[in-house]
Amino acid sequence: MRLELGNIFIKDVQFGEATKVEKGTLYVNKAELLEAVSGDPRLTKIEIDIAKPGEETRIMPVKDVIEPRVKVEGPGGIFPGMVSKVDVVGSGKTNVLKGAAVVTAGKIVGFQEGIIDMSGLGAEYTPFSKTQNIVIVCTPVEKLQQHEHEHAVRMVGYKAAAYLGEAGRNITPDEVKVYETPTLMEGAKLYPNLPRVAYVYMLQTQGLLHDTYVYGVDAKKIVPTFIYPTEAMDGAIVSGNCVSACDKNPTYNHLNNPIIEDLYERHGKDFNFVGVIITNENVTLADKERSSNWTAKLAEYLNLDAVIISEEGFGNPDTDLMMNCKKIAAKGIKTVLVTDEYAGRDGASQSLADADKAADAVVTAGNANEIISLPPMKKVIGYLEPADTIAGGFAGSLKADGSITAELQVITGSTSEIGYTKLSAVEY
Amino acid sequence: MVKEIERVGIPVVHICTVVPISLTVGANRIVPAIAIPHPLGNPAMSKEDEKALRRSIVLKALKALETEIHGQTVFEK
Repeated sequence: MRLELGNIFIKDVQFGEATKVEKGTLYVNKAELLEAVSGDPRLTKIEIDIAKPGEETRIMPVKDVIEPRVKVEGPGGIFPGMVSKVDVVGSGKTNVLKGAAVVTAGKIVGFQEGIIDMSGLGAEYTPFSKTQNIVIVCTPVEKLQQHEHEHAVRMVGYKAAAYLGEAGRNITPDEVKVYETPTLMEGAKLYPNLPRVAYVYMLQTQGLLHDTYVYGVDAKKIVPTFIYPTEAMDGAIVSGNCVSACDKNPTYNHLNNPIIEDLYERHGKDFNFVGVIITNENVTLADKERSSNWTAKLAEYLNLDAVIISEEGFGNPDTDLMMNCKKIAAKGIKTVLVTDEYAGRDGASQSLADADKAADAVVTAGNANEIISLPPMKKVIGYLEPADTIAGGFAGSLKADGSITAELQVITGSTSEIGYTKLSAVEY
Repeated sequence: MVKEIERVGIPVVHICTVVPISLTVGANRIVPAIAIPHPLGNPAMSKEDEKALRRSIVLKALKALETEIHGQTVFEK
């Protein structure tokens, strides 16, 4: 499967007469965008705003971040099973509005949504302070059930990203990257002497607003399976998570998974990147055992020499991580784990809820319990009030002047366990 | 909490869903629970069946408390 990803660099976003890309600026016809995302009777009001890097703007509570993309050639459309039909994606050509992002925000759905600051200390911790953000604030009808609220807002995000992506359909990209994965037999013949490496991609699927979807299927209902890495780049995997902001994978991260990109980078040079095993993080022990049995079975079946395993979220998924690790290691396959830590505010506590001696190579994306202080911002898109109650916040987090003192957990994407962050932690 | 209570000489049964974590933290008597969002029940069941389920877990835990053990033990049955 071969995908050409055409990056159109977006350096500015403005409201304009027509939605179009011109000389690196994305112009957005607000009324048209509003129409593209409207129609859900569960939402009473949808507001659209723009937040740019360097502005004194705070966006919260943030639900998801989505990158505008459009399928230019090849089967299917972006976000299959969600806003496009369920064709198999990942081949042909896809154009990306690189540098732009849709951010969905508004009244809190769950209790673990995030903060994006466009300047100041908080901006350094989130990758989404560097993107030109089209922020969509949704207000639900009264007494809407949480899962209905989550679904309504989630669909608005995908629709907005798909609508904006269309602006890139007929634009010549500034940069084209080619990603190609041959069939298993061809791949084995191509690089017979390189170690066979795959990626075990753990998806948050605990239910109750902690969900991920694959081609529209709730991933808690899948058994682990094998996908071409490029399928993720076309939105085959999307986030339905209102959980821990720091280490969930927003849809943007699924589209831009650095582990997949880096494995491609070294494919054919240092190793043979065989493909991606997707698996879930469910809430019963039987599910955890079954899914980790399957990742190990698939790893063996694919004749792998090594895997990279990434976690999403924390707490009981630490056990899924360890089960995947020890069962795959028991097959004689090397493992590297990517996670983050909840080591307490002083960093002295045990970092993960579970551990195993097979986990001898672990990459950390930082300590989510660390306390940070965010200065007040001139402009707030959304609501500040949830600062005391979102995960990582506490009574008194929000000060009268609008500043926030809370755990790093509150910042969207700060300790990304697929490495879409620059943060790590060291022992000293 | 399990370890601190046992430290003062009171035996503890840890009812928990993710048995491996319980084993890692060092609980001695472990009774598996149903699921993380509902460890002691199952909202998919009828009220009568769920009550029977809840009772069976509590009885299993009481049985575990009375049982002599030598090392970490998971009470599956």
